[in-house]
Order: sequence, then structure tokens, then C-alpha cells
Amino acid sequence: MSAPRDSEPQIGRSVLRKEARAKLTGRAPYVHNLVLPGMLYGKLARSPVAHGRIRHIDTAAARDHPGVHRVLTGEDMRALIPDPHYGPAFHDQPILALDKVRYAGEPVALVLAADPHVAEAAAQSIEVEYDELPAVYDEVEAMTSKAVVHETLKPAGTFPDLKHLAGKRDTNIALDFHLRRGDVAAAFGRAAHVFEHTFKTQQVLHVPLEPFVTVAEPGDGRLTIHTASQSPSFVRSEIARLLGWAENRVRVQVPFLGGGFGAKLYIKLEALVAAAALIVRCPVKVAASMEEQFYTLTKHAATLRIKSGVDANGRIIARACEVWWNGGAYADIGPRITQKSGFTAPGPYDIDNVAVDSYALYTNLPPAGALRGFGIPQLVWAYESHADMIARAIGMDPLEFRRKNILREGRPQATGTVMRDAALGEVLERLAQRMRWNEPFDRGSAALRRGRGIAIGFKASISPTTSVAIVTVNADASCTLLCGTVDMGQGSDTAMAQIVGEVLGVAAEQVSVVHPDTDVTPYDMATLGSRSTYHMGNAVRRAAEDARDKLLALAAELGLAPETTPIPDLFRHKYGMQAGNVIGMGSFVPAYTPTDHASGQSDNVTPFWMVGATGVEVVVDTETGHFEVTRLVNVADCGEAINPALVATQLSGGAIMQLGFSTSEQMLFRDGQVTNASLAEYKIPGMLDMPARIENEAVAGNERGGPFGAKGVGESGTFGVSPAIANAIEDAVGVRLSALPLTAEAVYRALRAKRGEPLEDA
Amino acid sequence: MLVPNEYRGPEVATARTRASAVFAADGPAVSPFELIEPSALAEAVGLLDPNDSSVRAAAGCTALMLMMKAGVLKPRRLVSLRRIEPRYCAIEREPRAIRLGAQVTLAQIERSAVVRAALPAVCRTLERLANVRVRNVACIGGNLAHADPHMDLPALLIALDAGLVVHGGAGVRTLAVAELITGYMETALAGDELIAEVHIPIHATRRAVYRKVTTRSADDWPALGIAIALDMNPDGTAADARVVVSAATDRPTRLGEVEALVCGARIDDALLGRAGDAAAEQALIGDQHGSAAYKRELLRVHLRRALREAASAPPAAMTS
Ligand SMILES: Cc1cc2nc3c(=O)[nH]c(=O)nc-3n(C[C@H](O)[C@H](O)[C@H](O)COP(=O)(O)OP(=O)(O)OC[C@H]3O[C@@H](n4cnc5c(N)ncnc54)[C@H](O)[C@@H]3O)c2cc1C
Repeated sequence: MSAPRDSEPQIGRSVLRKEARAKLTGRAPYVHNLVLPGMLYGKLARSPVAHGRIRHIDTAAARDHPGVHRVLTGEDMRALIPDPHYGPAFHDQPILALDKVRYAGEPVALVLAADPHVAEAAAQSIEVEYDELPAVYDEVEAMTSKAVVHETLKPAGTFPDLKHLAGKRDTNIALDFHLRRGDVAAAFGRAAHVFEHTFKTQQVLHVPLEPFVTVAEPGDGRLTIHTASQSPSFVRSEIARLLGWAENRVRVQVPFLGGGFGAKLYIKLEALVAAAALIVRCPVKVAASMEEQFYTLTKHAATLRIKSGVDANGRIIARACEVWWNGGAYADIGPRITQKSGFTAPGPYDIDNVAVDSYALYTNLPPAGALRGFGIPQLVWAYESHADMIARAIGMDPLEFRRKNILREGRPQATGTVMRDAALGEVLERLAQRMRWNEPFDRGSAALRRGRGIAIGFKASISPTTSVAIVTVNADASCTLLCGTVDMGQGSDTAMAQIVGEVLGVAAEQVSVVHPDTDVTPYDMATLGSRSTYHMGNAVRRAAEDARDKLLALAAELGLAPETTPIPDLFRHKYGMQAGNVIGMGSFVPAYTPTDHASGQSDNVTPFWMVGATGVEVVVDTETGHFEVTRLVNVADCGEAINPALVATQLSGGAIMQLGFSTSEQMLFRDGQVTNASLAEYKIPGMLDMPARIENEAVAGNERGGPFGAKGVGESGTFGVSPAIANAIEDAVGVRLSALPLTAEAVYRALRAKRGEPLEDA
Repeated sequence: MLVPNEYRGPEVATARTRASAVFAADGPAVSPFELIEPSALAEAVGLLDPNDSSVRAAAGCTALMLMMKAGVLKPRRLVSLRRIEPRYCAIEREPRAIRLGAQVTLAQIERSAVVRAALPAVCRTLERLANVRVRNVACIGGNLAHADPHMDLPALLIALDAGLVVHGGAGVRTLAVAELITGYMETALAGDELIAEVHIPIHATRRAVYRKVTTRSADDWPALGIAIALDMNPDGTAADARVVVSAATDRPTRLGEVEALVCGARIDDALLGRAGDAAAEQALIGDQHGSAAYKRELLRVHLRRALREAASAPPAAMTS
């Protein structure tokens, strides 16, 4: 192109994160720091009851509290918005509880005051009378329980495959997904061995260090929302829908996020704060506390039953999976997780006969949604624990068993979609090499036993989703990228700038990125599910190519040499001075074939496959059950690594997050009430919990549909961690754990049970 | 624990900022209170009210602020000790004891060469107590007065026979640390009494260890704490043993039976086994760190390990 090629290739370069300096010097903007003139602070009163009818809300004491501006309840919302329910899959979640509460911690009233401490004190004086209703907490019980969380199902209408659920009554099943391929019953009949195991995962949460926060600013027939959101475009359309407004009357701005991990998707505080600001006609801010994150969005607990038929050679010939997802009181994106993860529930293996039944269930617990993996870590926990259990039972090495069954390039996967550009085999082999699997392993002493384990998982991307981008080339050849991807710590600003730089022949450092502002940045579905590098990356690439083509056309128009004329000269010749812009636009939506409702079959369920495997070494104290992960090896296929340093930190970050979900994190409940809603009692891993050795590798891959061969990697590090640890524990001390988290007490109890001396119950 | 781990109905069900408020630009959600910074300990004592528990002394405020943010403490007045006489911020080596002023920070103790030489177990315990930010501001007086059963230091100080000098409206008295903590977050201090000094005896022959057992993350509060101090006779038998368990009991508790077994005995495998079993007789409380049954097994194992470590630890005089 006409740009003086003043830069190295931008793809494959570990460009320093663009925001690193701003963050390290405390200058990066966050919504938590935003203060607007005349702003009121809102504090929520929440339900202490898990399921109950609201008989009466007494807000008098709060209203009379000195300094309180206004107290709002669900009825105030209903006066502004006829049907004040929101949600991406179901319109089931009221902005403030209406008539009924469905989980302990549900917002019931909002107190507004100029001083947040006043609002908080007043919120405590709100008295609510409830008629308690029977509640259901367990996902399997929810299938048949008399306690029903929602009287009627209210699908949002956005997803065609949920439409058939509209108006369904007296059920807690928000979605059932089924997949049938081959003849499972017949294959079980001729299998040499049949294995059936049940696994459980616990409810955990994202714990971004920046809790949920939103500021809404009413204007002249307009509303500006500053929010820590991963999905500004969705916020705009959903708020516009609720208010019955055109989308351009709602402006959503998102600066940096202090972590998101799937928590800050769709609507969280935005509808509440927007409605409150419109009612009181001044800016309103609601900033959740760390504790309140426990009442906002969590990761699904799940029960997973998996049954496999294996032939005499160790080939899996049949597999049936049943999964019950504990979605909590509001569906959020749970039904999508139920369906999309259902595509790969049988695992990355070549199995001719498979059946999947996956159920999204409502319960009276805090809502569950997306969390770094979109259901995949729960599934991998089951199928990779199951894989080791089978291998041990048939006397085959766990690596060998996986090798024998792994899905190879060009073979159809459970949905019938042929797998392409997914380096499952290579990832498994690289992991085995790094683990030195074929070499002797030091097993430690009788008291401190050592063991090792591996696990591999894969994921279909969420499809079809849209991204749009704009690249502006300024008259001095600097470039500005307008894109709706939210940089929440993953480094997307940097990677997107590299793509622009590569196309236009400028250094990524010279490309500035405008953060999401729906008045300015074009549509993007959301920053979720490792989709941005692929989807937005493609849109950005196209936008940059469009700009490049326009520059070339400009050169031709001016009669200048397209390959050698510097960009600034083009503008000077055209406009007589340093002036003007060239604007490139690009959009991307991949092809997709919906799965058949009855069989779950489709010839194209995903634009790309994510592959991640983890190996661990553990040391187990056989006297106490305490164990330590001494080595953590993560290998993934992310196609071409646009920024190798970012890829490595995504892999280790994902794996460490999953390490917490595997060993120490667990929401505890009594009668549906969280009993450990603080970081003092809900323990995320600290520095001292890091494995002594952490290794990350991206195998050489190429995703043909991706920008410069790249695809997503934000979740791959999470896939294999939990089962790899459980497999290593069994390798070390011969006990098998089937429920997360893998606590020292659980290991100890299993060791005692194995000795025939079970420890008495708690 | 500092943060109540019970969801206590509507009161806790409101939007409330807890430990997290440090992240919020809007500041902690606490109600207004009076803050006084007297320049003398006697003055501070005078500002307390024996009949009003909402008047509190404030040292490093690490425990206080969490209780305030959690809404379990709504002080009317805080009497800050940060400007009282400098001697209460000093560590002194006396002939037979280390004297710590109540306002000495945990980090000061941790980094003190004098303490490390005479009482290495104290420094080692501090290295894994909370985190560096807490230790930089938390004071030994506040630490002991807080009386949360999951604290690390009280068990060790009891094993080391530490004592306190307490100033109150009724005058000055001394008290053993063992007598200080009377129950779950309860102390023997009157409402107008303040810890002024902590004295930890030093004996050249004393060997001490503290074992912090965590079950969730490494920087967690302990699921179980075991402190042991003893002497070793030249013939290889142990003498004058103190064995204290904490975190699994509602307050630090001496294990008299274990002490009796150990005194005069050789610390061999047989004795360790018996001592572990004797310790496991102690009634324990389960919590979110582990069930009572599991903690009993942890105590059995870690008591053996702690005893072996104590017996083979160099006496204080030999560590430099
Ligand atoms: C994140 C975190 C993690 C922690 N982890 C651990 C841990 O692992 N192990 C552990 O042992 N501890 C732990 N702690 C507790 C910590 O040790 C205590 O909070 C701290 O020692 C209290 O000291 P302070 O000076 O901050 O007390 P303050 O908060 O100022 O006061 C605490 C109490 O003591 C009273 N008080 C203060 N000074 C005096 C005095 N001179 N005389 C009488 N009463 C007084 C106050 O009125 C108050 O009731 C942790 C704390 C935090 C915040």
C-alpha cells in the first residue's frame, strides 16, 4: 500500500498493552471514579427471603430519613415502564421485585440520596412483609419440584429456538436441548464395557475486582449511560426497548473494566439506574459492593451424568450425557449456555453414537450466567474425569486412551458439523511432551505422594453474532479505530490495533482505539465467549482494508504512485493542506446453520473451534488430604497468535481462575441465603497459591476464517484444569473425587473411606 | 471472623459495603462518628466510657473498619491511639523480656532484629499473618484486644507466657494474655481499659513453634492454629511444655493433657502418637474452613508435627 512501511509485521508481535501505562499510573478511567454534578447515589434493599410473595413494602422510615431524596420500588418502575422485565433470553427479570421475590438478595427497593452513606442507612430501614413460598435449590429436584420459580415462561423472542416455550406454565425447565446421532442404545448393547458416572460442580462467581457500577444521566429527551458493561450495544437496545424509545436516544459509554469474565453482560444495574435517573430527573449512580456481586450473577452449578460404551480395543462407541444446569432465579444467558455447550457435551472424541439431554433450570438461588467458558469447564470436568476413570478401569494409559479416541481434523463432531482447523491432536501431543508423559515419574514418599494428570476440552463459538468496525485514517497517517469491543483486561485494544497496523502498514502503537460509545462506535454483539478476536478482528480487518482501498483509489484519482506515495502526501494533494479523512468500514457475521430441534444436528454450528488442554502435577499430604499443584501446563490452539504475550497471559489467567473454582471457591448457602458473601470467606487464589511452575503454549495453528489466521483464546486456559487436578489426585493417592471444589477435606474423607474408616459427617 | 459469615435477614440484606468498599471511590458506607486523637494514653483512657461499647479505642483500624462497614459496629466515638506517647510505639529488649508498646505495628515486630533473635517464632508467625498491608498498620494492642478466635498471635503469646500491662479508669494492672480472651470476641478488659504494653518473657533455652493450618487459600485465616513452647532437658526429655490450640475453639485453649504427656517424656514416635491422640480429645468447632471432625484429624496430625518441630528447633539463644 501507499504507506511507507515504517513498521515490522504487526501480527505475531508482543506489543506492549496500550493501556499498561495508564493503568499502572492510576490514570485509566473507570465508571467507579465518575462523579457528575447533582448526582444521587442509589443503594438497594434486598430480599432476605428466597421465595415469597411481597405482601407489603414499608418505605416510610427510609423516606423520612434525613437526606433521602426518593425511595423507589417495583411499582415505580411499572409506572414508568409498563412491563419492566428484562433479560437476553427471557424477559423474566424485574428491575425491582414485583409481587414476588425469587432469591435471597433480590433487589426490592432503591434509596436515592446525595450521600451514599445516607442512602445505605435508609435502605436498612425498609420493612418488607413476605408470604414465604416453598423454594427449590437443587437443579435435579427443580425438574420435578412442586415449587415453581416462574408461573409462566416469557422467552424474549430474540432466539428462534426459545419461541416454543412462550406461555408454558408450571415448569422450572427454561430450555431443554437434545442431540441424537447414531444409535446409542444399540451401541451400548454391543459395547465390551459400559461406564456411568455422575459429577457435580458448585456455584461460584466471577469476582471482578471492580464490582458492577452504572451511572445514568438524563438529557433532553435522551439518556446517557456510563456503565462497566461487556455489551454496550445490548444495553442500548434493551434500554430503548424497555422505554419504547429509538435506539439513538440512548447513549452507552464504557471506559475500561476492572474485569468482567461474563458477569457484566446484558443488563445488570443499567435498567435500574436508567429508570431511576428518568424518574428523579438527575444523574444517578449505583455502585455495587463486593458483597452485592454475590447477589447479582454467578456461574452455574451443574449435575452431569455421563455414560459411555467402550469396545474391547478401548474405542468409545457410544456416549450419553445428561446435564442439569442450576440457573438460579432468572435465566440471564443460561438457556444459551445449556444449548451451545450441549453441542460439545460428549467431548473432543470421535464417537459415532451420541445422545445429549441438557436442561436449563430455574431455582431460588442467585441467577447464573456466562463465566469464562460458557458451560464448557463444567462439561470438561465431567467428560475428562470420566475419561481417566474409564482408562484406569480398562487398564489403559490415560494419554493412550485419549489418543485412540480423539477427534481428528475433517471428522464430524457430535452435531454432525465437520471439525476443521482445530488442532486437538497436536495440543494433546504437545501437552504430553511437556509433561514428559512417557518418562518415569517421581511418586514421592508415603506421606507426600506425587501424581500427575491431563485433560483436554474444546468449545464451539457462540454463533451467529455480528461485529462492525470503523477505521479512520487521519491526514498525518495516524489511525483511529472505532470498535465496540470492551477492553476488560484481556488486551483487545492492543490486538485490534495490531490488525489495523498490519493492514495499513503502520505500527500498532500509532493506532488509537476509541472505547465503546454507542453514539460513535458501531454495533458489536458483545465481548464474550472469546469471540472478539475472530468476529471483531475480521470486522476491523475489513474496515482497515476498506480504508486502504480508498487510499489506493485516492492515489489513482490524484495520479500518484499508490505504492510509494506517503499517506500524508495523498491528503495534502487532495485538500491542499493537512486535512480530511479516509474512513473505512467493515462488518462481519459468520455463516451458521441452526441445529435441528429434535436431533441437535447441523452442518455448521460454529465459525471456529477452541481447543485447550491442561496438565498438572500435584503433591498430596496423605495424612491431611492437603494438596498442592506444583506444576500447571496449559496448551491451546488459538490459530495464529496475534500477540504471543497476550495469548500467554490469557492462558495462565484462565487457568488460575479455574484453579480457584477447582479448589477453594464455593458459594455456601443456608435456606437459599449466601453465608459467605465476602472475600474474607470466599477465597480466590492468592499469590501464594500459584503453582511454582506455570507453562503456557499456543501450538502453531491457523484458523482459515480468522483475521490473519487467528481465533479466540480467552477461555481455553480454563477447560482442562479441574479434571486434570482430580486425575492427578487419583494418580497420586488412588481416590477419585466427583464433586467440585476439590478441598483438602474432600481428599482426606476419600482417603479414609478407601481405608474402610470413613470420617463421621460434618 | 471479622466479617460475620451469617446472612442475618433484612439487616444484612440491604445494599451494604463490606471489605470491598476500599475499591469504591464513593467511600465506605459508614455512619458519622466522632474521632478524637489524644496525645497521651491517660487522656485516651479518660475519653472511653465504661458503660458504652460504642465508644472504642482505635489502633490500626483494620478490624474496626471491617466491623463498621459490615454494620456490626456503629461507633459513637473512636479514640485514636496514634498520637499517644512514643514509648507505646517502641520495642525494647529488657533483660528477661521483650517489651512491646501497644501501638507497635505487626510489621515493626516482624522486622525487628531484637525480636527475631530472641523470639524467632513470633517473627515467623507474622510472616503469614494476614498480608503486608494489614501488618503495616495493625498494632499489637488492637490485635490482642480484637479477640477473634481465628487470630494467629494469641495462641503463640499464651504459649510464651506473655503478659499485659493494662491502664484503666481504676488504675494500672497486669494480666496474662492467657487471661485476656474470655470467649468469642470477648476479653477481660473493662470498657475503659486499654492494653498499654505486652511483655514476652525470653529464656535462652525456650523453643517455640506456631503452626498455621489453612484449608482454602494460603493467605486465609487459619482453620487451626497450634502453638507450642517447651524446654528440652539435656537427657532429651521435654520440660515445661505449653500447648495451645486456636481457630478450632471459641478462644485459644491450652491442652493440659498433652502438656502433661509431654513433660518429662522423650519426644519419640510413640509419644507423638499419644500426644496427637490426646489432643484429638479436645472438643472442636467446625466452620467454613472445615468440619469439626476434619479439624480433629488435622489437630492430631499437626500437633505431632508441631511437637517434633519444637523439640528439634534450636533454642532461642542459638538463633541469631
Ligand atoms: C484482610 C485481613 C486479613 C487478616 N488475616 C488475619 C490472619 O490471617 N491472622 C490473624 O491473626 N489476623 C488476621 N487479620 C486480623 C488482624 O490481625 C487484625 O485486624 C489486627 O491485628 C487488628 O489490629 P488493629 O491495630 O488494626 O486493631 P483495630 O482495628 O484498631 O482495633 C481492633 C479492636 O481492638 C480495640 N483496641 C485497639 N487498640 C486497643 C488497645 N490498645 N487496648 C484495648 N483495645 C484496643 C479496638 O477498640 C477494637 O475493638 C486480618 C485482617 C484483615 C483486614
